[in-house]
Amino acid sequence: MILMKEVMEGKLPVTEGVAQALLRCTTCMNCTVNCPSGVDPQEVIKAARKDMVGMGYDNLFKKMGEVVEKYGNIYGEEDRHDWGHKKGKAPYALFVGCVGTFREEESVGEAIQLLDLLKVDFTMIDEVCCSGVMEDVGYEIKEELALRNIRELQKTSANTLITTCPYCYRVFKEHPSYKELGLEVKHITQFLKDFDFGVKTLKKVTYHDPCDLGRHAGIYDEPREIIRKIAPNFVEPTRSRENAMCCGSGGGLRGSFPEDSIEISRNRLSQMIEETGAEILLTECPSCLHNFRNAKLRKQKIEIYNITEFIAQLLQEGREKELA
Amino acid sequence: MKIEGYEFPEGLYYDKNHFWARVEGDLVVMGMNDYAQKMAGSIVYVGLPPEGKKLVQGKSFTKIESGKWLGKVFSVMSGELVAVNEELERKAKLINEDCYGKGWMFKIKPDNMEEVKNLMTDPAMIQEWLKAEIAEHSKK
Repeated sequence: MILMKEVMEGKLPVTEGVAQALLRCTTCMNCTVNCPSGVDPQEVIKAARKDMVGMGYDNLFKKMGEVVEKYGNIYGEEDRHDWGHKKGKAPYALFVGCVGTFREEESVGEAIQLLDLLKVDFTMIDEVCCSGVMEDVGYEIKEELALRNIRELQKTSANTLITTCPYCYRVFKEHPSYKELGLEVKHITQFLKDFDFGVKTLKKVTYHDPCDLGRHAGIYDEPREIIRKIAPNFVEPTRSRENAMCCGSGGGLRGSFPEDSIEISRNRLSQMIEETGAEILLTECPSCLHNFRNAKLRKQKIEIYNITEFIAQLLQEGREKELA
Repeated sequence: MKIEGYEFPEGLYYDKNHFWARVEGDLVVMGMNDYAQKMAGSIVYVGLPPEGKKLVQGKSFTKIESGKWLGKVFSVMSGELVAVNEELERKAKLINEDCYGKGWMFKIKPDNMEEVKNLMTDPAMIQEWLKAEIAEHSKK
């Protein structure tokens, strides 16, 4: 904020270095909820990033935009895993997003398995990146991709769109490019909160609030309702809910400064392990999950899962025991 | 030897998954080759499985990730994983900085040392293979 103030007041020239420095924010909103003056710094940062791009200081996400347009995902991957759930029409449509698909494929597979075990009638689509992330890093959402997702989702005749990624959830729910979607949008924790899973773990479990799910979307209770059903030994970290520390993956930081991003994750993970002594860390965001798994040191014995992935594994273990 | 600007030291064994192998007594040390690390860009993560894991030559057993790419690590030999380079846990870019030295990745106790014969060691063969790989990659 001081940097931008100096620029605005003409005390600091706009340089490549300034533009780069503005990319060092995860847009996690922790400043926002703690600002005594009611300022929302991450919105200011995002606006400044756009200004920088407008002034000719393109950043590495320009290339990502080209990749998203060409391949339909942020990683430029040509082959997308086919989970075989494209039945066409169903009451529910499931959208899993780029990070889950290409970085945490097994976790997405388990979430799908969970929906199957719970006998949810859902379909997947030929999805492309929701492309909302472009707005956070100085560029515009890709309208063509948004239209393609809307078209594919409407073909399903679903009433409800379930997203596994909290960022995609926000984009579908809030971004004007998706206003014609016509489906109720639910994050998977909202969708699952009323289910009975019939399984429990006695292990000590803690939960990390993803910034996109918590501070950005206000979804704090649903994940906890689910966890309390399956984990009687649930322990809150000291910094949780509105005050949860970021995992370091948001706002383009993982893409632009991956080592710093993982280091933030390492700090957050160590903090939660020390405070809670948990054996299991749960979250429900592919980006948080991926960053924590990258950050975990060999000496740290904690296991890290998305909630959906963990429940699917408990259910499958239960079935295996029944069959044994 | 240098092939199209990429370092491929002689005396090492190379597989077609872009990993190298060096025999050290009854163990085999493995890492990523220079072409692959340059293509991957700055490496930020390597999965370091527990020692004792059984490995199969040519089969993937962990992941490696740069800022722009996620790949698999394929074992150069069948056998038991006996050591990992723990420095990579906090400094995976050692692979970029010194892929044949400080950036070594794993040590394997092979079930059968004869398996090295499945790897490439002849400079002419390595050169022909790498040039084809570069040509293939440049099409993408």
